[in-house]
Amino acid sequence: MLEVRNVTKRFGGLTAVNEVSFTVNEGEVIGLIGPNGAGKTTLINLICGVYKPDSGAIVFEGKDITGLPPNKICHAGISRTYQIPKPFEAMTALASVLVSVLNGKKRSHMSLPDAVMEASYYLEFVGLFSKRDTLARDLNLYELRMLELARALATTPKLLLLDETMAGLNPKEADAALDMIWSAQEQFAVTILWIEHVMKIIMKATKRVVVLHYGKKMAEGPPEEIIRDPRVIEAYLGVRYAQNL
Amino acid sequence: MVNFELRRDRILVRFRDKKTEWVIEPRYWRNPTIAITFLFLLPLFVQTWPNILTMITTANLYAAIAIPLALQMLGTARVNFGPQLYLGLGGYTAALLNLHGGWTPGETLFAVVVVCAVVAILISPTTWIAKGLYFSLITLILPLTFLDITYIWGDIFRGEVGLTGMSPLLTLPKVTWNYLAYYYLSLLLMLLYLLICDRIVRSRIGVNLAAINENEDVARMMGVNVDRYKVFYYVFPSVLTGIVGWFIVHTFRTFAGVTYLPLEFMIKILIIVLVGGRAFLYGAIPGAYLVSIVEDSLRTLGPVNYFVFPLVLIVLIIFLPRGEGLWGLYRKRRPRDYFPKLHVRRE
Repeated sequence: MLEVRNVTKRFGGLTAVNEVSFTVNEGEVIGLIGPNGAGKTTLINLICGVYKPDSGAIVFEGKDITGLPPNKICHAGISRTYQIPKPFEAMTALASVLVSVLNGKKRSHMSLPDAVMEASYYLEFVGLFSKRDTLARDLNLYELRMLELARALATTPKLLLLDETMAGLNPKEADAALDMIWSAQEQFAVTILWIEHVMKIIMKATKRVVVLHYGKKMAEGPPEEIIRDPRVIEAYLGVRYAQNL
Repeated sequence: MVNFELRRDRILVRFRDKKTEWVIEPRYWRNPTIAITFLFLLPLFVQTWPNILTMITTANLYAAIAIPLALQMLGTARVNFGPQLYLGLGGYTAALLNLHGGWTPGETLFAVVVVCAVVAILISPTTWIAKGLYFSLITLILPLTFLDITYIWGDIFRGEVGLTGMSPLLTLPKVTWNYLAYYYLSLLLMLLYLLICDRIVRSRIGVNLAAINENEDVARMMGVNVDRYKVFYYVFPSVLTGIVGWFIVHTFRTFAGVTYLPLEFMIKILIIVLVGGRAFLYGAIPGAYLVSIVEDSLRTLGPVNYFVFPLVLIVLIIFLPRGEGLWGLYRKRRPRDYFPKLHVRRE
């Protein structure tokens, strides 16, 4: 479905993403992990079109989307959430989802009331319908993350990129969010590429994991193998820990 | 016969099978209706004082410049410091074509729309390149450059004395009738602008406008074609501003760059937007009336008014609710909410 081929991105002298290539198959939940500064978020930004890769190609459903503007990539069927939620602060929850409903794909015949109904469906799905008229700046972190999820789902994506959805949530909220993402995958048949630091959730949720380290792809495989991989342990916990193991 | 009935919040009046009701509490009155009725009746009380009539006509024109500017500020998420560039362009296009080419007001209107649209489209890429202060600076320089041009080619533009003798829109037998007619024409122009801009804000693309105003990058990620919208929201209000210039040329029949192009005029317009309320297009109307009343009443003070006028406006900006201005006072402290809302009725 998504094919990342030898993508490189440099910021001045720093190579943030270096010759990374992997594929995402349809209907899969794939994890993307790595220590801080490994280039995970940069990779997502490259896929979404925020940055242009210096070399390499990104192919989505057989179409080359390298260097397209974000709105075209959104129309092609890729949507994302942010690590730090970026809500439309002075807009109500309903109106923020409405923006995605109206622009996520071409809906030239959809009236505003119809769009409101559809937006309220997505809000109900993530459990924020009672907060529909609350300004986004008054929502708490969990609700903001759910609002981001609703906004992303409302663009009717085929591939959903989740950027550290669980960061900063307490265990109960994290469980609820995990359930939400699973049911989203079931209901909307989205493929998910998931950046996450919480290994417990990666173990639970994904069948395959890609590990980045200093911008390079280090390993790829099922999570059970990945956590036993000495190179990954070395990268995460240091050389000494890996030797004492 | 006529039956009056007092309910908790309204008075019901029944006559045979007809029923009308009057809501008691003023804040539930149909405010646009009241305000428009008031504005339509206003000149009947002041028609014996032509200077007051001119003042409220000017107020209408200020509002007609400020309403598109407010739309532009929302839609491009940038503060344009030079809307008067298009006022000058429109005015000079209409005046020169009318004086030297002998074009009728209808033909000059067409020319004004074309010229303003072309110039605005040429300048609109600045909304992609520049942000914040840089955009404001670029737009600030343009009208000042145009003012210089009107001085340099003084034999064509007559920058200091202004062009005079353009053909009027209407010629009525009595002078007072002319004043009244121009008031109503300016009022209609302003209300037309308000209607157009309000329809835009409350439509599907108005929701996108709000999103662009909040965060361009995220809006782009949600699939909004931000670049196209920004060009539209730059060009369309510019053309509307140009038409105000055309209107000034054919009603006051005099147009000077030194009146409309300098910084003072722009500051007046920006202050109207700020005092009226940035978030609300309606706010421009009370803002424009307030500013022109203050301006006119301070003019009797003599040279002191050059200090007092800005001071009064600064005090207003400080003490009015931030960002919501006079309209915010009217709306009490309700949170700023974008259209639309969804209400679920529970039994």
